[in-house]
Amino acid sequence: MNKMISISGERNTIIRDIIEKLLKEDKISAVLSLRKLKNGTIDYGLTTKVEYLGIVEPFYPLMPVNAGQQLSSFTPLSKPIAAIVKPCEFRAFVEMVKREQGLMKNFLIFTYSCSGVYPIKANIDQSAESKLEEYQTAAANLTIPEGVRDACRSCEHIHPMEADIFVSIAGEKDNNLKLYLQTEQAETMLKGYEMTEGSFDDEKLNKLLDERKIAKEEIFAAVDTSESGLDGLIDIFGKCVGCHGCNSVCPICYCVLCDFDSFNYDYNRPILEKELEQKGALRLPPDTLFFHLGRLSHMSFSCVGCGMCSDVCPANIPVAAVFKRTGENTAAMFDFVAGRSVKEEIPVMIYKEEEFPELGE
Amino acid sequence: MEKFSKKGAELKAENSIQATIRQFFIQTEGIFDAVMMPMRVPAQDSYAWIMVKNRDLLADSVPIAPIMPVNAAKAIKRFTRKGEAKLKVAVLIKPCEVRAAVELTKLNQINLDKVTIFSYDCPGALPMQDYIDDPAAGETKFQSILADNIWNSKEVKPTCQICDKFYLPAGDVHFAFDEGRVIAIANSDKGNDVLSQMNLKAEYSLDNWESSINEIKAKRLLAKEQTYSVVKGKVEGFDNLLDTFAACIGCHNCQSACPICYCRQCYFDSATAKPNSDVMMLRAEKRGGLTLPLDRIMFHVGRMAHMSLSCVSCGLCSDACPVNIPVAKIFSYVGSQTQQAFEYVAGDSLGDALPMKEYKTEELSELTALLNNTESPEGSDE
Repeated sequence: MNKMISISGERNTIIRDIIEKLLKEDKISAVLSLRKLKNGTIDYGLTTKVEYLGIVEPFYPLMPVNAGQQLSSFTPLSKPIAAIVKPCEFRAFVEMVKREQGLMKNFLIFTYSCSGVYPIKANIDQSAESKLEEYQTAAANLTIPEGVRDACRSCEHIHPMEADIFVSIAGEKDNNLKLYLQTEQAETMLKGYEMTEGSFDDEKLNKLLDERKIAKEEIFAAVDTSESGLDGLIDIFGKCVGCHGCNSVCPICYCVLCDFDSFNYDYNRPILEKELEQKGALRLPPDTLFFHLGRLSHMSFSCVGCGMCSDVCPANIPVAAVFKRTGENTAAMFDFVAGRSVKEEIPVMIYKEEEFPELGE
Repeated sequence: MEKFSKKGAELKAENSIQATIRQFFIQTEGIFDAVMMPMRVPAQDSYAWIMVKNRDLLADSVPIAPIMPVNAAKAIKRFTRKGEAKLKVAVLIKPCEVRAAVELTKLNQINLDKVTIFSYDCPGALPMQDYIDDPAAGETKFQSILADNIWNSKEVKPTCQICDKFYLPAGDVHFAFDEGRVIAIANSDKGNDVLSQMNLKAEYSLDNWESSINEIKAKRLLAKEQTYSVVKGKVEGFDNLLDTFAACIGCHNCQSACPICYCRQCYFDSATAKPNSDVMMLRAEKRGGLTLPLDRIMFHVGRMAHMSLSCVSCGLCSDACPVNIPVAKIFSYVGSQTQQAFEYVAGDSLGDALPMKEYKTEELSELTALLNNTESPEGSDE
């Protein structure tokens, strides 16, 4: 399982060629990837025909939706689909698989050392297009490209060990594209390519990760409410308009109907009137902060820090920073890392007779 | 346009329109148990709807807020939809919010029992993004719009710039602004009662106000026509729709911000709208590809079909769109067309039946003609 393929040439073309071969050999039925449409917009989509592979943009620095969410929308497939996704998208899918919301065997997953994505607004005026060169230079030099999402600037998990194929992009300066085959499926599928022994050296990413560590400290500090408590949280979430866009784009929030949109929170007028009389005032619609606290407790364990929530927030609330910070802190208590491994059980799903004895004291 | 009263009652002036209205509500203790008005959130970077019982708290209210983070009809819906009312409440909301509340009442989502609706001549609201980016600048901008009586500001939301229904909606009391004075107009029996309880006499002539309103309205109608003609080109025809909605990421923020979209779960978010892999592959193979998430255009077209008859053009869908699609202008235009077809104006009156809820034996004769595949429908020779 420590095989490596090295191919020289332009990286997008190499990937398209591999997909073409797989499609022609009938090993896959389609590729799910970023694509550049006729009008210049970047979308995620399936491509089934070889003649359309030209629109496939494997490494484009945008994330119109979290692909992990899309991967989990597939019921069992008779033939796998190749999916080219970013590490955080793969990690979101891993969390979904653990929740029985997706099937790993549906896909042949390509992922790569990602240098981050630009906010989705860059997909409207196609401003990402003009930054591509600058982005690639930053990626090659293992620095954070200017203007990428805060979530990306603070991301520390860009080598998912369980993805089928890991493509080395960050820090690569020469004309050789290196693909690391991390699963048996990858080896079987890519039979015919010249393979050598080799596994990815994680040290290679240290420069980038060090820079991100510093950015992360600064991003997390801005949403640190450990001193300010509830008031601090109200300051952050006070401007929430209650659209729940953060929840609908979140790859982890998979409930068809969020509890907070359900009848459970549709209070009777007498209940609201009683609250009004008790408190003297009442914010309407109710439960603004409660929604976020609820979502934090429901999913922040599995938050992969993709940053979609911040991107769609109409009130510019740094949702992603709050959720990632909270998620990492809680997950650390269980030595858990979201999306690291399908085998790693979600902490709340494990029953231990003795746990956190200090809480009982 | 006057419905109940040909005259208004002048409120005792404070040092600004905002203060005059605020003072009015402070004095409603005894008439209303609570008042709902916009208030700045603690971080001072946005506004929220607060139902206030303690009149002391009203000191912090901002009757005319520079933004509309949530359509008030939604706030009223959450308060009144279920259960019996005990408290008498007043709400001070914008005309488009009144219109949305009227639609939601007809759709059985709002119960106006013990709710008295106050509205005011609305100068429009700033786009949410502009304000959020720099709340201090937004405050200054909006203050000058209010203070200088700017009714054709280009700083307000695109749908506000073309709004010709910014005055005297179907509420109970309307505050008209006439050269810095605030004039209360009773617009229903409920409204009449309130004004007489407050000893306000309708002695102020509305002639001057009416003529200035008509002037603004004429300009707005012209702007609306121009905007609609641009929008028409952007949405009519499938290719145009594809281009216009190309950047849509399927977050459905437009739908959740929409005061009219009251379904707890949108059809397009339901399990029914999620096909299995076989169907997805079938669709992909038919065309060689498939955009994900599925049905992005269908969602918008579906929403148009579902709610455009009741669209009040409040503009919240655009405020909520993370990819700046001019959803509000599009829906406003489509709504104007569908409403016209049924000779219906969303939010105009509680008395007008919703077109889809009213059965007429003779209706839309031109469609019947198409169905019968004849030149003209039977009996429509006149």
